[in-house]
Amino acid sequence: MNRRIRQLGVVLLGLYLVLFVQLNRVQFFDAESLIENANNSRGLISEFGRTRGSIVTADGVLVAHSVPYDGSVDFRREYPEGERYAHIAGYQSVNVAATGLERSYNDELAGDLIDQRFLSLGDLFVERDTTASLHLTILDRVQRVAATELGDRKGSVVALDPRSGEILALWTSPSFDPNLLADPNGSAATGAYEALLADENQPLLAKSYREVFFPGSTFKLVTAAAGIESGIISPASPQFPDSSGYTPLPSGATLKNFGGSTCGGDLVEILRVSCNTAFAEMGAEWVGPTGMVAAAEAFGFNRGPGIDLPAAATSRFPTEFGRELADVAFYRAQDPAVTLPNGSVPIYENSAALAQMSIGQNDVAATPLQMAMVAGAIANDGRVMEPHVVKELRAADGSLYDTVEPKVTRVAIQSSTAAILRDAMRVVVDQGTARNLQTPGLVVGGKTGTAQLGTSPANSHAWIVGYAGRPGEEPSLAFAVIVEAQEGASEQTGGRVAAPIARAVIEAVFAP
Amino acid sequence: MVLLVVVVAYGLASFGTTEAIPTNLGPFLFWMVGLGAVAHLVTRRFAPAADPVLLPLALLLNGIGYVVITRLDGGLAALQSTWTAVGVAGYVATLTLLPRVRVIVQYRYLLGLAGFGLLVIPLVPGVGAEINGARIWARLGPVSFQPGEFAKLALAAFFAAYLVDSREVMRNRLELRDLAPIGLAWVGSLGVMVLERDLGSSLLFFALFVVVLWVATERWEVLATGGVLFVGGALMAWSLFSHVQQRVDIWLDPFADPKGRGFQIVEASFALADGGLTGVGLGQGSPGRIPYASTDFIFAAVGEELGLAGSVAILSIFVLLVGSGLRIALGSDRVFEKLFALGLTTLIGVQAFVIIGGVLRVVPLTGITLPFVSYGGSSLVTNYVLLGLLVRLSHEQRTATRRHGEPE
Repeated sequence: MNRRIRQLGVVLLGLYLVLFVQLNRVQFFDAESLIENANNSRGLISEFGRTRGSIVTADGVLVAHSVPYDGSVDFRREYPEGERYAHIAGYQSVNVAATGLERSYNDELAGDLIDQRFLSLGDLFVERDTTASLHLTILDRVQRVAATELGDRKGSVVALDPRSGEILALWTSPSFDPNLLADPNGSAATGAYEALLADENQPLLAKSYREVFFPGSTFKLVTAAAGIESGIISPASPQFPDSSGYTPLPSGATLKNFGGSTCGGDLVEILRVSCNTAFAEMGAEWVGPTGMVAAAEAFGFNRGPGIDLPAAATSRFPTEFGRELADVAFYRAQDPAVTLPNGSVPIYENSAALAQMSIGQNDVAATPLQMAMVAGAIANDGRVMEPHVVKELRAADGSLYDTVEPKVTRVAIQSSTAAILRDAMRVVVDQGTARNLQTPGLVVGGKTGTAQLGTSPANSHAWIVGYAGRPGEEPSLAFAVIVEAQEGASEQTGGRVAAPIARAVIEAVFAP
Repeated sequence: MVLLVVVVAYGLASFGTTEAIPTNLGPFLFWMVGLGAVAHLVTRRFAPAADPVLLPLALLLNGIGYVVITRLDGGLAALQSTWTAVGVAGYVATLTLLPRVRVIVQYRYLLGLAGFGLLVIPLVPGVGAEINGARIWARLGPVSFQPGEFAKLALAAFFAAYLVDSREVMRNRLELRDLAPIGLAWVGSLGVMVLERDLGSSLLFFALFVVVLWVATERWEVLATGGVLFVGGALMAWSLFSHVQQRVDIWLDPFADPKGRGFQIVEASFALADGGLTGVGLGQGSPGRIPYASTDFIFAAVGEELGLAGSVAILSIFVLLVGSGLRIALGSDRVFEKLFALGLTTLIGVQAFVIIGGVLRVVPLTGITLPFVSYGGSSLVTNYVLLGLLVRLSHEQRTATRRHGEPE
């Protein structure tokens, strides 16, 4: 009998070995995939079962914090400033995926990172508040002005410090109240989310960095930069002949100036009056596809902004211009009716489109953040700084956990090019389309834009981009303002509608 | 040592859930340590030669289970501590009132009858009760209990005693009619499954009987017949009963209906995964999300809060218990003691395997308790009595060995 008993022992041991193997699978080898299983709501429940770091602006305004809740979860997220920071802080919700900083800094806010949890051996045994709070670069006084000035109009305001990439204001209207989505009642949160999602004005979308628009004439800064960098354009030459229309090569509809006006002249002059015909020609026939693509990408088009917020949109500049057809001289010889070209680059199949892109139309698309970064690079001697809204992270006891250091993303243009553009932009403010930006006691440069939407009656996006600084100092502010779908299509629209908002922002930033 | 571990764990669990040193630590200490000490002293006095690991292993399982139950549901924990006391009383009574296990041989038919009677009590109208779909409960006044638990012991004793007489016959000349008892056990098991809807117990009884008969007769035919009958019974049950089919479907793919029928298994997997290697810590997890975490699924709760380390520890304790039990069976030179020890060990070993395997999705889930760990009065008391019997058998075996030298 003992032999059988031993055999039984072996069998039982084998069965327990199977259990042991399976236990290792479930608890170790497959644990990760089980934890990430879509049906697993354990993470969510534990997330709401503990407190979470708060979010505070640079001037000390509380944006988000955890408050004890008596119900299905132990804590709920509260956003005291409501919609003003909805597109920055985002929301943390039981039923809807988190957005904004709540998402991109989730681990830090929750205190889940290894170096947050285990500072010393004692942390293995003692439960400690490991959460970190986010201290923003945003100044509430600027953010507040941006929201007030834009009012009920749809649009975005981006203000940043060009020297560091610190974002001072990032506002999109319409916004939404994130408290609705942070409702611990899951079905209430879902209901609010679906209502917001169905709203045709897209309040959930942070258009300031997640939506692209025609940049219109503000893009002429990029075209100008491309021209100067290529060595062909300088403040002194060439002189673009006065023209009221530009017929692009190899063929296409004639481009007009605003209001059918006639304009031309040197770089500073054509920027001052925002001369379409001259910039279209500059892009298509002087700079050409290679130089235009290089300049646009140097500023960050086609690359993404690298901001510390999730789901940022990448601004777009097309890179395909088709086959090289012939040089400009060929067309000049063939058809004397063609506007006399001055440049010397080859003409491509899509050079007509390139002419339109050079004035910010056709397939060019930029986020307001991207245009602020263009102005920022010009203000910062050509250096594009990585934009960020978080300045530092502090542990629960107030000690510094991490600092976001300024980082040069790339050098977009030479500092001499930047200096030329800064001067030209000052002329635009002093004597050109951006006169509404004039602010006593400050050096301000800017560029307006009116991106026509081709609708009837005529509608356009009113743009203004620029920089500001104290005399004798480097500019400490770069900005972009867009007011969407304004009536009218004259170049005055950007200066009339968008510039006053930018001016209020400048005053808020430099307020004593 | 074991007691210290349990007390510290209790303190940690309570600290983890309430962030305060539990105020009832004193009474807990007194209760747990006191009961442990009583059981130990009784063992020293009445079965001094017994394998000294048996009682501590059981106390450790009981203690871990108690800590986890406390953490899940304080009300259940209070009841469980009462049941622990009753269980230890049962253990003490077994050791003190049963000087020699052999005396129960003479009551074998009575025990067989009692076992059968206990099994069918839940079916008696008025006394039996159906809870959670299984008709395995009996109500006597305010107390509900599962008579099937006690039936296990009675049947194990009956099988062992019965085979003392008949094994010689069967061993030498196995005829078809000798296999009849297996058929009878099979029918009985099926009866339990069909009439009481208790898959776990059904499987347990059948396994007990086949194993004991197989070892007693030393014939592979027994095992083969048992296997065939098991497969046949399982297939039959599967084709006839929707609740059996459902169990199998959940076993094969719990994620087909993760919020519905597969919820329990799926949540148990998530809990175990959360536990990882070292666990989320006592009182830090959320095992309460698993339905029946304190009874059938207590293993998942242990795995979540104590991690792979804790769950493997539980597995190891059962392996040690089974090993110790089989050693008693190996060492006993008398047939009844040998078969009885074997039966009791099989009960513990198979029961723990079936429920842990069910939680881990190694086998289809059958709702039975994890011996000594799960909440449940009938189960705990039965297992303590079972432990008392094993300790008694161990003592007898070792004193006999000392007297006669090593058997074999």
